[in-house]
Amino acid sequence: MRWPKPSTVRWGLLVALLVFWEVMPSTKIIPELFLPSLSKTLTVLWIDRVEYAEALVVTLYEVGVAMVIACGAGILTGAVVGGIATLRNIMLPVFSSLYAVPIVILYPIFTAWFGIGSESKIAFAGIYGFFPVMLSTAAGIRTIDPQYLLAARSMGATLVQQITRVIIPASIPTVLTGLRLGGALTIIGVVVSEMLTASAGIGYLVSRYRTILDSPHVFAAILMILVLSIMFDLLARTVERHTLVWQTAGRRERGAPTAQASTLPAPAPV
Amino acid sequence: MSAIAVDRLSHVYAGAEGGVPALEDITIGVEAGKFVVIVGPSGCGKTSLLMMLAGLRHQTEGTILCAGKPISEPDPERVGVVFQEASLFPWLTALDNVEFPLALRGAPRDDRRRRAEEMLSLVGLDGFGGRYPHELSGGMKQRVSIARGLVQDPPVLLMDEPFAALDEQTRMTMGHELLRIWSTTRKTVVFITHSLTEAVYLADEVLVMSARPGRIIDRIEVTLPRPRTYEMMATDTFGQLRERIWQQIRKAP
Repeated sequence: MRWPKPSTVRWGLLVALLVFWEVMPSTKIIPELFLPSLSKTLTVLWIDRVEYAEALVVTLYEVGVAMVIACGAGILTGAVVGGIATLRNIMLPVFSSLYAVPIVILYPIFTAWFGIGSESKIAFAGIYGFFPVMLSTAAGIRTIDPQYLLAARSMGATLVQQITRVIIPASIPTVLTGLRLGGALTIIGVVVSEMLTASAGIGYLVSRYRTILDSPHVFAAILMILVLSIMFDLLARTVERHTLVWQTAGRRERGAPTAQASTLPAPAPV
Repeated sequence: MSAIAVDRLSHVYAGAEGGVPALEDITIGVEAGKFVVIVGPSGCGKTSLLMMLAGLRHQTEGTILCAGKPISEPDPERVGVVFQEASLFPWLTALDNVEFPLALRGAPRDDRRRRAEEMLSLVGLDGFGGRYPHELSGGMKQRVSIARGLVQDPPVLLMDEPFAALDEQTRMTMGHELLRIWSTTRKTVVFITHSLTEAVYLADEVLVMSARPGRIIDRIEVTLPRPRTYEMMATDTFGQLRERIWQQIRKAP
């Protein structure tokens, strides 16, 4: 028997999950308070679409600004800390330890400083996403094969050329991994802070409807956040795939040589 | 005038109690167009010496002249370097890797593309320019490295154990290929290796270094005719030369 393709199985599982979501509550096996059916959730979402759209705009704005801060500051600090040995020895252990701190404990302070509007969410999520970006940038720069820099110097590269033509391209894969993780964390940061103290945003809708036990509205908000996170991940993956062509080029035709590969001249016996 | 003239070069690594002597009183003269191989035990400072010839490291004492002018920093127009393992940039195609030194100088795009393609074809890699390093075999990667070392047409090519990571068969083929490339370009080559067979097979002259602190303890003229063939490896002359180098290395403290 031939196994179906992994992607077929994945889509199958998703469909099964959606069917389960629809069937279980409508047959009353699961009470609606615990899990409202998919159709009910979507109906609620459609009826209150204006409210949800407004909340989405607020959340997207906060996530966007927080990502710019997290990525910008993260890459900059990571590059400086990773590139300068003395700084790295002093700072890296500190940053690594800070990464383990549940930064959410700082959020009450941020609301005191920045109020309960978007600013406190941006500050919190920005810091939350900053650490993985900064740490992976530092790691990316630190782990560059010194042989590359030696080769570049032997070819007469100036310090600026070593940075732009060797250090940056060599560290891009690790930095992108950090950006993907950091971006996901800023989404989490924004939603969590909206749920704690806020007056707008999707997270705020979740916690407001939960207090009045309106499950369909809660699930409508959850569904939106799910879609938002998945969209971000797909976007990040597409960027990675296009930037890192050199890591994957030619891998696909390894298994079955294509017509193009066979028209290449036979390699010299090496 | 010799292509490379090293005069009483010494090097001491900074460290406790006045440092560790690495190289001691090295004097070498290499005539233009010669193929010189340096052999010696591990850690004798061969690679350090080569780094100094390339201007990548500075000696404590002594001078290095290349075509009459001192070497103080890397100068890819006078000296090309081919490194131990593939130091090709994995994010660039073979062609872009070969172009890299020209791009650093800001050479016009068309010129450097044409020049890089010429070099790839010289090393036998016609049609492989669009491949990334991970799509090439070990031997092909080192061919690209050689092309990159030659792309600025420097009179001197320095090679630091370029075939050390290759398997025996590929290594023999690459040695032969290198001699072919050398005979068409007539560069002055300084080649570092651990392999005595490779040394005798390639060299006009073999310099034997002692263990640390590295000194030149023997110069051996390889009298085998050129072009060299694999059959020569079985001759008495080849065996005697190889034996003499081995004896020198063995008795070195």
